[in-house]
Amino acid sequence: MRRIFPYTALLSLLLLAVRGNAQTVKGDLSTRALAILRENCVSCHGAQKMSGLDLRSRSGAVAGGKRGVALVLGSPEKSRLFRFVAGLEKTQMPPAKPLSSAQIATLKTWIQSGAKWDDKGKIEGTFWSFRPVVRPAVPRKPFANPIDSFLTAKLEQKGLSLSPPADKRTLLRRAYFDILGLPPTPEEVQSFLADTPPKAFENVVDRLLASPHYGERWARHWLDVARYAESNGFKTDEKRPNAWRYRDYVIEALNSDKPYDRFIKEQIAGDELYPQDLSARIATGFCSHWPDESNAQDLRQRRQDILNDLTDTLGATVLGLTVGCAKCHDHKYDPIPQKDYFRLQAFFAGVRPREDLVLLSSNQHTDWQRQQADWEGKTSSIRTQLATLEEPVRKRFFESRKGRFPKEVQEAIETVPAKRTSLQWLLYHKALPQLEMTEGDVASGVNSEKAEVKSRWKELRKQLDSFRNLKPDPLPLGQGITDVGAEVPKTFLLAGGLMNKPLEEVQPGFLSTITTESPQISAPNNESSGRRTALANWLASPQNPLTARVIVNRVWQGHFGRGIVGTPSDFGQTGERPTHPELLDWLTSEFIRNGWSLKKLHRLILTSKAYQQSADYNPKAAKADSENRLLWRFRRQRMTGEVLRDTLLSVSGELSLQRGGESVMPPLPADVTTRGYWKDSTNPKESNRRSIYIFVKRNLRFPLFEAFDMPDTHEACARRQVTITPLQSLLLMNEATMLQTARTFAERVLRETENDPKAQIERAYQLAFQRSPDVDEHYRALRFLTKQAEIAEQRLQANEKIFVPQTLPQGVNKAQGAALIDFCHVLMNTNEFVYVE
Amino acid sequence: MNHEPRQPHIPQNLTRREVLFRAGGGFGALALAYLQAQEAVADTLQRPHFAPKAKSVIWCFMEGGPSHIDLFDPKPALQRLAGQPLPPSYGRPITAMGTAENALLPSKRTFKQHGQSGIWVSDWYPHIAEHVDNYTVLRSCWADGLNHVGAVGQMNTGAILSGRPSLGSWVQYGLGAANNNLPTFVVLLDEREPIGGPKNWSSGFLPAAYQGTQFRPDGNPILALKPPSTIGEAQQRSKLDFLTEINRKYSKTRSDDTELEARIRAYELAFQMQSAAPTAMDISKEPDSVKKLYGLDSPATERFGKNCLMARRLVERGVRFVQLYCGTGSQWDAHSDIEGNHAKMCRISDKPVAGLISDLKQRGMLEETLVIWGGEFGRTPMTEGTNGRDHNPWGFTVFMAGGGVKGGQVIGSTDEVGLRAEERPIHIHDLHATILHLMGLNHRQLTYHHDGREERATVNGGNVVKEVFV
Repeated sequence: MRRIFPYTALLSLLLLAVRGNAQTVKGDLSTRALAILRENCVSCHGAQKMSGLDLRSRSGAVAGGKRGVALVLGSPEKSRLFRFVAGLEKTQMPPAKPLSSAQIATLKTWIQSGAKWDDKGKIEGTFWSFRPVVRPAVPRKPFANPIDSFLTAKLEQKGLSLSPPADKRTLLRRAYFDILGLPPTPEEVQSFLADTPPKAFENVVDRLLASPHYGERWARHWLDVARYAESNGFKTDEKRPNAWRYRDYVIEALNSDKPYDRFIKEQIAGDELYPQDLSARIATGFCSHWPDESNAQDLRQRRQDILNDLTDTLGATVLGLTVGCAKCHDHKYDPIPQKDYFRLQAFFAGVRPREDLVLLSSNQHTDWQRQQADWEGKTSSIRTQLATLEEPVRKRFFESRKGRFPKEVQEAIETVPAKRTSLQWLLYHKALPQLEMTEGDVASGVNSEKAEVKSRWKELRKQLDSFRNLKPDPLPLGQGITDVGAEVPKTFLLAGGLMNKPLEEVQPGFLSTITTESPQISAPNNESSGRRTALANWLASPQNPLTARVIVNRVWQGHFGRGIVGTPSDFGQTGERPTHPELLDWLTSEFIRNGWSLKKLHRLILTSKAYQQSADYNPKAAKADSENRLLWRFRRQRMTGEVLRDTLLSVSGELSLQRGGESVMPPLPADVTTRGYWKDSTNPKESNRRSIYIFVKRNLRFPLFEAFDMPDTHEACARRQVTITPLQSLLLMNEATMLQTARTFAERVLRETENDPKAQIERAYQLAFQRSPDVDEHYRALRFLTKQAEIAEQRLQANEKIFVPQTLPQGVNKAQGAALIDFCHVLMNTNEFVYVE
Repeated sequence: MNHEPRQPHIPQNLTRREVLFRAGGGFGALALAYLQAQEAVADTLQRPHFAPKAKSVIWCFMEGGPSHIDLFDPKPALQRLAGQPLPPSYGRPITAMGTAENALLPSKRTFKQHGQSGIWVSDWYPHIAEHVDNYTVLRSCWADGLNHVGAVGQMNTGAILSGRPSLGSWVQYGLGAANNNLPTFVVLLDEREPIGGPKNWSSGFLPAAYQGTQFRPDGNPILALKPPSTIGEAQQRSKLDFLTEINRKYSKTRSDDTELEARIRAYELAFQMQSAAPTAMDISKEPDSVKKLYGLDSPATERFGKNCLMARRLVERGVRFVQLYCGTGSQWDAHSDIEGNHAKMCRISDKPVAGLISDLKQRGMLEETLVIWGGEFGRTPMTEGTNGRDHNPWGFTVFMAGGGVKGGQVIGSTDEVGLRAEERPIHIHDLHATILHLMGLNHRQLTYHHDGREERATVNGGNVVKEVFV
């Protein structure tokens, strides 16, 4: 049998080489041993007492935990503490990253020599991300921007420094793509090149951050972590007709620089905290973007799945923790007991999804109701007659649908409202859409009735229709959440995370490793429990060590392509450690000091030398830091599919910059079938809108975006992957809409130049790359144009159809026009086009 | 021979370069091919954990849920209890259509024992029955999904909730590509999309390169495989050459960035694929005898038969995983008229599946090709309406052939009426673990670090059903 070498062992060997280097703790044996425990063990085996073990004191260690005695003085082999860290027991501890052999040896010697323990106090150890944010001193370096001082301090330790500034064109492109997701025009580049330093770039930054397109670009980053989609998923994947309002809410929040703490509060508890603010109600859409199964029968299980979605998403998105790992058992790596998972979940126990949030001011709503009442009054007799006719149909439908549900749901439906428990109310609301008939259902139901019923019904419907002009427009509705009431169902710790295995009841509570404080919960009224208010206030507090750090890191990642913590939704043990912990904390404290302003944070980053440095390679630096963790140069980044599409349309001159509103459905590639679901927006003003406005369907990602690594929208995505596949090449090279874009691009070049190939090449380069081609490029381009024109000419001679601009200026023949399309199309496919430096 | 282990865990510090390696194992095998030459480390990425028994999988997915009690799992007790409700000892399952209280409906089919092994198959599957001595029939499968979307999803991805990678994606991640000019994981549909659509072949949280590629039976098999006819071949070639020229110049001062080089190669591969994929799908040169074997000579079997034949041609060319749907859009879903529905669906699938097995056998390919037949669940012994059957995820049949599978055996059983798996229950995770095992992959070692967890195809469960091949 072939022996399988355990890779984890290999991995730990690699890791300890690094850790061993970095960690040389000085001091006597006891100090060193206790430092090892403090750094590596007590975050779980301390106050959390995982497995019943508390290693904060010698007595605790001797007493041991569920598995037995942990420390036998003088005898490492008998001490579980040693056996576990040495890998003699399963699972080796700490589970995420075993200790180095030197550390293990230290513990061994320490136990052999009697495990001297500085008994003055218990050792306390807190994992870095759970420690309070402390503003560190800025290293003394000759930089105006503290970011550069922090970075340089680290670089210098390796004998490195920041790279020289990028050239101005590159820098401007970088800023445009980063902040707006759009290329600068050649003219904008020209004027920037002419502008004199030093304020020129700062002015650009201010201008771009003030642009409404900034929100359109950065909203996409947030929508990735918000698992935003506009359809249900599952089988039928129905549209969520008002989900787009949440997308607009995010764009608007970013553009108006809504403080991040408020942004979070609105999304978690906008309905309770700001009931008068319509946008805060839309913000609660964040808590409703879960995938949902519209024909589910086991609705209590569905509710549990939804609660899990909310808990996991909150953990990943706001706290940057893999809270979801503690659903079935205590977290294996982080100090998050399973109980904490359900304590967090309990904040959401009352959540009731709403698709009927009325987005009108109370005055407007009163007006609407008056109109509606008027219509109802005038049609009351018709509607009563209709109701009588429809009654048997409706009853049959109701009974048959009700019959599909399990007993507990049927009971919830049958129980009289006054007697329904809060859980029954939730089940009832969830069942309701399946019990209600659509207009189509009614029509087809009536169709199978007797002829006289049918004709009478039709007649009455006709009469009712004649009052249509009195009926007010449908209410503008939003999608979000409210509570089911002030009372909410109990939450239980679930064994193995299984709904039908409840253990003890739990109350809402924060992560116990961060705070032992109990939430102060009071119901604001009869309709809400106030639980989410308590959660939101805790999350958005400057004292919360995670919320601000996590968003600062996400913003950093947005600019540099990689966070200070490389795992932006995992600030736990299995996540990466920050490459620059002091910088992260300094930025975080600065961010809070600046009123949680994202724009100020952007500005701080964008005006650093680190951001403005060149992306050029430097062999010496690469040798010392091959992954560029220390940021000795700027990272070249491939565009996302969304930015790529916007850029293509912008270069061809077709981009429609209309903002906000319902999503659009640009035509899909031929062969992609949706059976009528996808209603192509045929008007170019609509179909050529920015990518952020394209309908997000769970079961069908927009093909270009999917090919370019748009994440699955079923769960939060912290960092997009970058893959290179032939499918991307096929789409960009062959897909009909791409060819059309190339044609429009070519037509624009023809329109904007004199009839001269040299000028055409120049203009195409300017539009695509905002620079002039060099002599060599000019030569190659001319040669290519000539060759393509020849090929096209031959094809014309052979009576083949060729692809030519729709209008050709005088003096340009078809073959030349076709060649220019080919040229423009190639530029669109180049690396220079899709990479931003 | 001393194989280095493949890396079962993604190193935590996932760098751009590493992402690329992994991407390279999928549809974008080119990136890997290029980088392998440069970086020895890449070579250890794609290896089986142990010697595989099967090189490829062809999974004939009968979508909608075929009735095991009318096909492979005869239940004499049902005749006896006909018209009575489910005895109380069975409890009351939550069913999709609320049929738990309904009367039991016996099968109208005639069952016979076949082959040397004497395995029971009903008269709906005469051709499939001819090969029973090649099958392991798993009569005790069970799943968690009550509805189609969850159940189809789980059969593909292991979970009833969306977001996880399809089994084909895991195989691709674990083994990489065997043919650089074709995708490694191909999906063939018959009429429309299965319930749940592309998420059934999604790469979930694995990089996009691992997702299955849908091959269309007509026209261009792959999306945007060829430019419109207004672009000629010489013209396209010349464009690609010019593109490479420009890209090379751009790379000159950026030679450290392998991603740029990978992208250059991606275009080359795309171009090669333009001819490789249609060739694989072109069955016109297959002899008539072969076409007949798959039922291409009859309108009922032509469509699915063609897909089965294409599956063989793809596997021949190194495609590792073919998900082949029969009855997309829940066509096996016989809530009413089980007789009419299944007679039709069985006719559609019988000859093509049997033909596929014969053909693979004749070519000596069956030993290394795992053929799987099954739906997302079975059907209830209780009637729905007067003559239909409801969804049954608690007990149903799947059979496997070839690819190291022991022939002529039945594993497990359902209870007396065929409602629940009883003896040797086999969960979908067990099924997946077994399939991966046959392909040389240990499902506990094939992991991917995602959101703080080492995720695997079998989520938290899965035990290899060793009897399948021992």
